[in-house]
This record gives sequence, structure tokens and C-alpha cells, in this order.
Amino acid sequence: MQETPPLPDVPLFERLDREEREELGELLEPVSFGPGEMLIEEGKKDEKLYVLTSGTVEVYKQVIPRRDQLLATIEAPSVVGEMGLLTEPRAAASVVAKTAVKAHGIQRDRFLSMLDAESPAAYKVVYELGRTLAGRMSRTDDSIAKIIPQLECANRRGSRDLNIFQDKLIEEWSF
Amino acid sequence: MTGNGLRQIKFFEFLTDEERREFEEEAELVVFEPGETFIEEGSRPSSLYVLTSGRVEVWKLIPGSGNRLLATIDASEERTVVGERGLLGDSGASATVRAKGEVEAIRIPRSTFRRMISEGRPAAFKLSYRIARTLARRLTRLDEEVVEAIRDLERRGETDLDAFRDKLVTDWTV
Repeated sequence: MQETPPLPDVPLFERLDREEREELGELLEPVSFGPGEMLIEEGKKDEKLYVLTSGTVEVYKQVIPRRDQLLATIEAPSVVGEMGLLTEPRAAASVVAKTAVKAHGIQRDRFLSMLDAESPAAYKVVYELGRTLAGRMSRTDDSIAKIIPQLECANRRGSRDLNIFQDKLIEEWSF
Repeated sequence: MTGNGLRQIKFFEFLTDEERREFEEEAELVVFEPGETFIEEGSRPSSLYVLTSGRVEVWKLIPGSGNRLLATIDASEERTVVGERGLLGDSGASATVRAKGEVEAIRIPRSTFRRMISEGRPAAFKLSYRIARTLARRLTRLDEEVVEAIRDLERRGETDLDAFRDKLVTDWTV
């Protein structure tokens, strides 16, 4: 029997009791990345989520084709790749190590099997992920509210596509 | 109808009968008068409401341009869930929801949901999984829309592009 790696001390695992920590610990694969190494590649299947325990990563996306744009800088402790757990497993952006990074990988499939089996440990983790998403949704709503007057200015200059965009933004509102 | 029935509601379909009953026992039946506001933008996180009859309006304050009607929901066509984000989040509601006529709803108070979570009840965790998936899908679609709009602006040489991009693409999650 191999010794279970200790569960990293991150908010995501805060609610877990000892037994649940051991259960989840079996899924964790310790991994480290050097500066410039890619954790997640845009457009590829998102097979893992990573719990970052030290270091900094950058999130890039080809907003304009063939031109990577820096979207965010994320410092440990944090999680990347969690959207793949909750939606389609196709990475919307790339995640690249900016410094040396220590992380724990969790296989998407194994985690989803735990959820299917109604494992309390997995549910508790998803609850914390949900709380993170709720915060993000709220900030996104604020950003969109600020952008709408600008879109309307552009619309008055005759950009029909923006009207459609604006309607779609409003449809996706969550409150 | 069995008052608190959550049976035929899509949002609760993934729960077992037993788990649904747990929520039915905790839920409250509420009636709102025409014009009554039951989710208020900015004030605090909302409770979850299953609208069972009547019509509601969703309003949002747009900076520099006043209150805007985002949507009208008719619950007699289909029972609709609103306020679900409030169960998970800590920030205030991002829109106001107001009864247009008389409205009947089933409320799962945020405090009740939080208590169920702290008691470790699987039904509450399952509901949070459902809400998390809903939020993730919306965020993914929003991200796609934003990227499309940026590409579109770029093609047409819009000058406001940078400001637009900075505002929308700052809080990416992968």
C-alpha cells in the first residue's frame, strides 16, 4: 500500500472531514511544472483539474486567432480546470506556469464517478466550486451592466451584430 | 395540487423522491401581491423561488442609463426557478424580480439551504451541484459570446476595443 499524499490546505477542501480527505486523497496526483510549461491547452480535452498549492500561472486565450491574449494571472492556492468538470470537457483557454508550480491533478473521469456514486467528499468539493462560480457570475453580471451603455453607443452608429450580442448577454443573465 | 410539490419541476428532477420530500418539508408557499418585489438587486443574496403561477418582471440597473426591463417570465406556461445563484453566492442579487400580477411561488430560503449544507444533507449538496452546472454553462456561453463580439469589433476596426476587452475578459475561469 502506498501512503496517501496529504490533502493540500486549500479552501476547496475546507469542509472535508478526515475520512473524506482520505477518500479524495486517493485521487490526487502530485505534479510540478517549470516556468513556461503548459498545464491546460486551449481547445484540447480537459481531462484534469489542478489544485495549485504553490506558484503562479497565467491564462491565455486566442481571442483573435493566432494571437494569445493574457486573460488572467492566478496565484496558488487556487484551482484551474474546474469548468471541465461541470460542462463539456473542452478547455476554453490555456494555462501556463509563470513560475515553478506545485499542484495536485485530479482526473475528471474519476471525480465524476465519485459524484455518480454520490460520494459526500465529491459533493462537498463541488459545493465549494459552485460558490466560486456564483462569485464569478456576479462579477460578470456587473461587468456586463457596465458595458451595455457602450454597446448601445456603438449600436447607434449602426452595428447590428452588437444588438444581437446584447440580447444574448441579457438572456444569459443569472441573478 | 400538493402545495409544496417540486415533482414536475425540471430543476429538481435529478433528486430522488425522498430528497425532493426533504426540500418540500423545508420549503414555504408564498403569495406576492401585484407590484411586490421579492428579489432586490444589490441588497443581499436571494433565496430560491419556484414560480408556480403568475407573471414576474426582471429589472436591472444599468449604470448611466437607469432601470431596464430584462425579461418577463410567465410561470403559468412553465414553472420557473429564479434566484438560484443566491443559495451559493455571498454577493447581492444582480437583478430585481417583481410580481406583475398576483404570483404564487415555492420558496427555499437561503438560510434553510445553508443549514441543510451544514448538517451535511446529501439533498442540499445535490442541489448545489445542479446550480453549479447551471452557472458553469451560462458562464461558458457568455465567454463564447464575448469572444465572438471582440472578434467582430476587431474586424470592423472599432476603437473602443481595448476598454471593451478589459471590462469583459477580466475574470476568466478555466
